[in-house]
Amino acid sequence: MEKAIRKYWPVFVLPTLAAFLIGFVWPFLQGLYLSFCKFVTINNATFNGLKNYIFALTEADFLHSFGFTVLFTVVSSACINVAALAIALALTREIKGTNLFRSVFFMPNLIGGIVLGYIWNILLNCVLTLLGKPLMNLYAPYGFIGLLILMCWQQIGYMMIIYIAGLQSIPGDYLEAARIDGATERQIFWKVKLPNLMPSITICAFLTLTNGFKLFDQNLALTGGEPAHQTEMLALNIYQTFYGRSGPQWKGYGQAKAVLFCILVIAISMIQLRATRSKEVQQ
Amino acid sequence: MTKRHQLKDRITTVVLALLSVAWVYPVFMILFNSLKKESAISTGTAFELPTAESFAGFANYADAIQSKGFLSAFWYTLVITVTSLVLILICCSMCAWFITRVNAWYSKALYFLFVFSMVVPFQMLMFTLSSTADRIGSSATVGNLAGKLGISVSKAAADISLLPLNTPYGICIVYLGFGAGLAVFMFCGFMKSIPLEVEEAAMIDGCGPIRTFFLVVLPILKPTLISVGILETMWLWNDYLLPYLVLDRTKGYMTISILIQYFRGSYGRVEMGPMMASIMLNIIPIIIVYLLCQKHIIKGVAAGAVKG
Amino acid sequence: MKKRFALLLILSMILSLAACGGDKPAADANNGGDASSAAGEVFYLNFKPEQDEAWEALAKAYTEETGVPVTVVTAASGTYEQTLMSEIAKSNPPTLFQVNGPVGLANWKDYCLDLTGSGILSQLTSDSFALKDGDATLGIAYVVESYGIIVNKTLLAKAGYSVEDIASFADLKKVAEDITARKDELGFAAFSSAGMDGSSDWRFKTHLANLPIYFEYQDKGIGTTDAIEGTYLDNYKAIFDLYINNSTCDPKELASKTGDDSLNEFRNGEAVFYQNGSWAYGDLVGEGKPFTDDDLAMIPIYIGAGDEAQQGLCTGTENYWCVNNSAKEENIQATLDFMNWCVTSEKGTQAMATEMNFVIPFQNAVESPNLFVKQDQDMTAAGKTPVSWNFPTMPSENWKNELGSALTAYAAGTGTWDTVASAFVDGWASEYAALNG
Repeated sequence: MEKAIRKYWPVFVLPTLAAFLIGFVWPFLQGLYLSFCKFVTINNATFNGLKNYIFALTEADFLHSFGFTVLFTVVSSACINVAALAIALALTREIKGTNLFRSVFFMPNLIGGIVLGYIWNILLNCVLTLLGKPLMNLYAPYGFIGLLILMCWQQIGYMMIIYIAGLQSIPGDYLEAARIDGATERQIFWKVKLPNLMPSITICAFLTLTNGFKLFDQNLALTGGEPAHQTEMLALNIYQTFYGRSGPQWKGYGQAKAVLFCILVIAISMIQLRATRSKEVQQ
Repeated sequence: MTKRHQLKDRITTVVLALLSVAWVYPVFMILFNSLKKESAISTGTAFELPTAESFAGFANYADAIQSKGFLSAFWYTLVITVTSLVLILICCSMCAWFITRVNAWYSKALYFLFVFSMVVPFQMLMFTLSSTADRIGSSATVGNLAGKLGISVSKAAADISLLPLNTPYGICIVYLGFGAGLAVFMFCGFMKSIPLEVEEAAMIDGCGPIRTFFLVVLPILKPTLISVGILETMWLWNDYLLPYLVLDRTKGYMTISILIQYFRGSYGRVEMGPMMASIMLNIIPIIIVYLLCQKHIIKGVAAGAVKG
Repeated sequence: MKKRFALLLILSMILSLAACGGDKPAADANNGGDASSAAGEVFYLNFKPEQDEAWEALAKAYTEETGVPVTVVTAASGTYEQTLMSEIAKSNPPTLFQVNGPVGLANWKDYCLDLTGSGILSQLTSDSFALKDGDATLGIAYVVESYGIIVNKTLLAKAGYSVEDIASFADLKKVAEDITARKDELGFAAFSSAGMDGSSDWRFKTHLANLPIYFEYQDKGIGTTDAIEGTYLDNYKAIFDLYINNSTCDPKELASKTGDDSLNEFRNGEAVFYQNGSWAYGDLVGEGKPFTDDDLAMIPIYIGAGDEAQQGLCTGTENYWCVNNSAKEENIQATLDFMNWCVTSEKGTQAMATEMNFVIPFQNAVESPNLFVKQDQDMTAAGKTPVSWNFPTMPSENWKNELGSALTAYAAGTGTWDTVASAFVDGWASEYAALNG
């Protein structure tokens, strides 16, 4: 059978592979090369050595956006996961209206980041106006909180679904046995449910972390990095370096930043992979 | 069930109900603001329901649809989503089948590459990908191919692009390339769990690999197809930066996410009414689809996530 | 069946491979290998979203008349630089784009064609509308705009004053403070809120800041500088104080207002004065808009400097057309022809005046129906001197942003005027050094 399939590789693999070469491999390699160049279009790239990287690593805005991104990612991941788990626990208690609640909480996931950003921009700025406080794009802490609320609103539903699936896959016997042994609800949660949820937690933690790191649309639409780049996250910073500045040096800087960003995201994924692997071994 | 338990359940229900209201409110707010007259919409009054005086009916919707080409943006978004989705589902499932069934170094290498591509952020590729798409789109024309083959063609035919990667009709190839990682990864995950026996039986009965795949494997894959399809649709419909950079703006190609930005004027004026109307027009189809197949969507997401 | 399917797939793949191969010689296809576009075409990257439809209509009319295809693409607000950046790198780049003045030109001059000797240059009414770099003319202003304080005359009359009563900063201050004192009785305030977010803060950090810069330049007889002294900063403070202390809301709340709020307050008759420019005309007068020409007037922004009796509106431009020198030769020619047509033909000038509400600095310009523009012309005719636009000489966007943040903090009471002054003077020097050093 394997031989027969192998013969048909042009049918099975080639379309995807060809598109993959155009849509990923070639641009990726080219991007890697260009990060060492000064260029405006691909045709006029001149080799520039490590200058771009040195600039990227010493630029205050980039470092600030890195710090902002890390802070945001950590805080938002924590908030989203705790809230999602809490709602998932409530929804697995078989109370009335579970399905409705679940549908409602999941709904924001279907709306795109740009649209979400505009919706929350209108809503939160209205709240701030009524309170007589500065708008989000004038005062960075509010921008941060706004972004946090937006991401919670969007992602809690998604993570909740994963936690519900995780909770439902815990064998009923375990819980039954624990109850017979006289365990309190709290003990059941910490000693039975949580350990069995570890795979779901790893998945959700990873998803929220990468989503936080790669966040772009929402950031662009909610505050656009205002005031003065203070709420700019890495992805937006790279985009602004690339397209927001004119002058022949900026694209190289942007590409170098993008490579650094890419390495960072890959590193997080590796850690995640290791974490899942070691869990699997234990089980 | 004890009384204490019942009370606790009630409290939970009430809390959840309140939360749900908070969850729906933003969308509801946009809805009623989109029905207000422009002069009644300002930063501080977004929470006020429209009154008889400020009610504008569907004027904002008419404006949104007419003035900025909403319908064409909607059509392009739909075309992009559907073509890319079909292409990704078919091509990637075939590719994944090959990878899982053929035990060779190159299939492992391919798998690794696809998984790798899943992790790479778009910013890494944004410039090179858009310029690659632009160059292929505008140079792989009938005219150039014919020129190479030494045939002469009419001017109209010469301008037709064979691989119009920078149009809504060809951008699906870019999406197939950039989105292949996740799809192949998920398909591979599921395929490993499909027993080989069925496929082998089909092959022995005289089916070639292609028929085996389409008649035997694909039906088994249906739940996975739905999962992958839902995840990809959510991405495709809402994607902003990729179409923004890749689509050829000289021909007026736009998606809804791009269009929404055009309600801002050069001196900071925002046409709030039409903007909110177009936000609603973007959300409404999503909500309809969601109401129709929410079971599949939620199941699909859960299944996809557990495997991913 | 099976074979046919396989064949089909393979065929499609060969096609895609052929296209991959076609990727490489893209360059020669661009350099005229393509016989189809020998006639040349125009690709205009438009800056002003408000005029998007009018430009497209005009482009269509031109194509009908001459057969030359004109593509108009408008960048979404605030994304012009990004769009230009990404479009100029494409295989079919814009042939006509715009910069906002000397500072913008510095970034793009490598792409600007020298327009010396071109037809459109000879059409300019004054040499000052040409943007020069050394001997080369790289940009041509295509629209002139004015700004000042827009007055709701009806409300002003209710308060017991007329436009003629305001001829200096002292007058303006007296009227504004009187209105504020009787705010509850009158039911309206003097100034609409000075929104400090991105949709409105340019009115203060850029347009209002132009005045102290203008008077300093005048005193010194210069047109640009690498170090501003801030001799008129006190006047800047005085007018800004007047704005924020006599506004529809408490100064502390200004940071929560947007440009829309400000406009809506003025439209709803909650304020007499509204600082904005001739471009706001379409928002105020017309079908479905609350005002007619009789209700409104625009007066100069008096800050108590110079000869106030002779001060006119702030009139100038920050919109310069540039032609892309890297475009194909036939496209460059087509673009020059198109520009010329726009400012000389009847259709073009008519459209620019009535559809786009532009005042164009060219000899064949048609009179604009815009009230504020007419007022500017009347004032100039009466011997008043328009205040020129000097903000294109501001060192960078960053300078404006820093000034904006400082003004916001000052209005909210969380910052002092010293911070504003330092952002104005020290910021200018440091930004200048960073960019040109």
